[in-house]
Amino acid sequence: MADVSGDGFSGPGTGLLDEYDASRAYDEVFEPDGSVRSAYTRIVERFRDLGVTELRRLEKLVAEEFRRQGITFTVYSEEEGTERIWPMDLFPRLIAAAEWDELARGLSQRVAALNCFLADFYNGDGEALADGVVPRWLVVSSQGFERNAVGIRVPHNAHCNIAGIDVVRGADGRYRVLEDNLRNPSGISYVVENRAAMAKVCTWLFDDHAVQPAEQYAPMLRTTLESMAPDGRDSPHIVVLTPGIFNSAYFEHAFLARSMGVELVEGRDLVVDDHTVYSRTIEGLVRVDVIYRRIDDDFLDPVSFRPDSALGVPGLLGALRAGNVSVCNALGNGVVDDKAVYPYVGDLIRYYLGAEPIIDNVTTYMMWDPEQRAEALNRLDELVAKPVGESGGTGVLIGPHATEQELAAARSQIEAEPREWIVQELVQLSTLPAFADDRLESRHLDLRPFILTGETTEVFPGGLTRVAMRRGSLIVNSSKGGGSKDTWVLAHDSP
Amino acid sequence: MRLGISYRMHFRYSEPVTESQNEVRVRPRDDEHQRVLSYQLTSRPVLNLLSVLDYWDTVVEHVGLRSSHTELELLAEAQVETAPRSTPSVAPDPSTLTEEDFRSAHLEYLVPSQHVGWASGDVVEQRAASAVAGAESVPKMVLAVVADVRAALLYRQDSTDIGVTLPELIDGGAGVCQDFAHLALGMLRSVGVPARYVSGYLFAADETALDADQGDLVSVQTHAWIEVAVPGWGWWALDPTNGGEAGERHVVIGCGRDYGDVPPVRGVFTGSGVAVVDAEVLISRQTGFAPAQPVSKPSAPLSVPTPVRTSDRQQQAAQQQ
Repeated sequence: MADVSGDGFSGPGTGLLDEYDASRAYDEVFEPDGSVRSAYTRIVERFRDLGVTELRRLEKLVAEEFRRQGITFTVYSEEEGTERIWPMDLFPRLIAAAEWDELARGLSQRVAALNCFLADFYNGDGEALADGVVPRWLVVSSQGFERNAVGIRVPHNAHCNIAGIDVVRGADGRYRVLEDNLRNPSGISYVVENRAAMAKVCTWLFDDHAVQPAEQYAPMLRTTLESMAPDGRDSPHIVVLTPGIFNSAYFEHAFLARSMGVELVEGRDLVVDDHTVYSRTIEGLVRVDVIYRRIDDDFLDPVSFRPDSALGVPGLLGALRAGNVSVCNALGNGVVDDKAVYPYVGDLIRYYLGAEPIIDNVTTYMMWDPEQRAEALNRLDELVAKPVGESGGTGVLIGPHATEQELAAARSQIEAEPREWIVQELVQLSTLPAFADDRLESRHLDLRPFILTGETTEVFPGGLTRVAMRRGSLIVNSSKGGGSKDTWVLAHDSP
Repeated sequence: MRLGISYRMHFRYSEPVTESQNEVRVRPRDDEHQRVLSYQLTSRPVLNLLSVLDYWDTVVEHVGLRSSHTELELLAEAQVETAPRSTPSVAPDPSTLTEEDFRSAHLEYLVPSQHVGWASGDVVEQRAASAVAGAESVPKMVLAVVADVRAALLYRQDSTDIGVTLPELIDGGAGVCQDFAHLALGMLRSVGVPARYVSGYLFAADETALDADQGDLVSVQTHAWIEVAVPGWGWWALDPTNGGEAGERHVVIGCGRDYGDVPPVRGVFTGSGVAVVDAEVLISRQTGFAPAQPVSKPSAPLSVPTPVRTSDRQQQAAQQQ
């Protein structure tokens, strides 16, 4: 169990935090000198008082709660998906009020610029491309560029209504954006359920803190979706469109529909008549104004996209082109999720908003630039290589953990298809105590906040904190052994 | 040349269907070489059609029918005035194709697309490379490729399906106008010439021989040809099916990367059974009196509506972020 980093800090006192090693990276709880950061003072006190037996008991209660409610996630292996109980670690992540305000401003700014870009690109004159902010060839060659989205009117120019922006905190303690998810980001249901379980099992933990509520997500989302109704229709009819029960996020789709009080539908429950979308209900056909869809662009309408789609609604594109319905998120946001566009987001913020980015990107090398490529391939063993079209960690090569063969293979893949790769500096994700091996050990984590944009933009306080449950691991994806934490945004900083 | 075009599409279903949804791209476009004097799309039964411009600036009309039916008829009628098209007045050196700005501006027409696929070193690229070897200008490269496509393929009705790949085409040695166009596009792009697909109408009884006497009224199908970007000059229209340039007899509907961007009709229906589409284009020259009987009737493959699929576990599982 020895830690390789040597000069490990051990927390004072006795108990679960005795051998805590905060030296691996920026630690969210402990300063480098071992003192506790002020936001965590009470939490650390509470956890010092707990014994292993008590923590184990609480963990069981949480797991039991999730099991009872059917809160699971799916691990895809070979062909079949396997359901597992959602893993949540009991030590919460806290974000101080002032720190959150800054982060939220940065997230709003980023999503605002990305929405400007999408509106400019799909419905405007393509000014950012004409002015060379993003190379035209790069965008035109993007797999995420949806030509059918061109010309579809989008209320408030809000192309991305629900964004999940993954942020990490590096060794210098600064937040940075790791990845933009503007198509169908998932995870918010776990955020709400984590809070419900914590509030039930560890009620006493909340006594000392004013924590921003998590249950406000559904009303926030509903307000956002309502504002997207075509022509400002009053009391719009909203539906959540799911691929179906075999989708790993089906639980979330059902959860969102239920908590917003709207219908959960599959493609076959909707029908298009005279370029208008209707839902088949027991009262007959009811016009649909807003579709919160959780299926990919390609599958939305078998007439205009993939003809073999069994998930979509025939004629939906016609209804969109007629301006009779809104689809959220809008078509074509994949062009921004293309990691080849990510390095330009800072410039897009400067271009559209005339401001410096509040949150920076992780330092990124564009493989289609010969000089940057040469430099990055030279140091690939220290860096991280990512395919531009994947998400959720698929195909990522972490240089320091890769074999010579893997590095050589990645180099030749990058040389062969430079448009398809970015290379980034490795971020030592920040750490937080997590319960493992009968004590609290430091584990790396990230954060996916959710940003909602309709007529206005709101940032949901907190987000999904994912944590790598293996010591030293930087992989936080739940499908690869990651866990989660309840994320508390404090309402104010002074106690 | 003033041409009257009448395009009739007759959808028939072997069993009654409860719904059919289609996209139709049949309206001639307005551009510097042709002017649309009148255009109308009508349906039987009468439907409220939605007409919009798509990304490629082609008029697309959405046609949906949601009641039990066994047939649906669409009739597009247009009057178009066409003008001759010009031949490149310049003969830029092949090296001009590699200029960064030129390539970037035409990127979509330089890379493989759904129906225009080739790979490094495959038969398409090899054939193109040897066809253009020694050509001292871009127009000469283009003419060499078009000639080679005509050497590779015989024109034969019903010889291919829409999903055929370029190597399969070369292997089969025969095709229709779409195939001639797709093969020419693949070969041209593989040697760096930006090339796009054109869907339209050709006023000719025999689309393989433009200089033959065509009469004044023909019964045909929609036609396909190509346009190539000549550096410093612009788009040059050629018709690989007959080896000539596109001219007054060619009426453009729209352009795209390949057939998939400008199909005359594309759709699905809900119900069992199969769909058949009978389509016929009548084109008349509107000067003298038209003869009573049209001559000839070639046919090109057309996408047939497919039944809507209703369940797929793999597809459900695949959507996530």
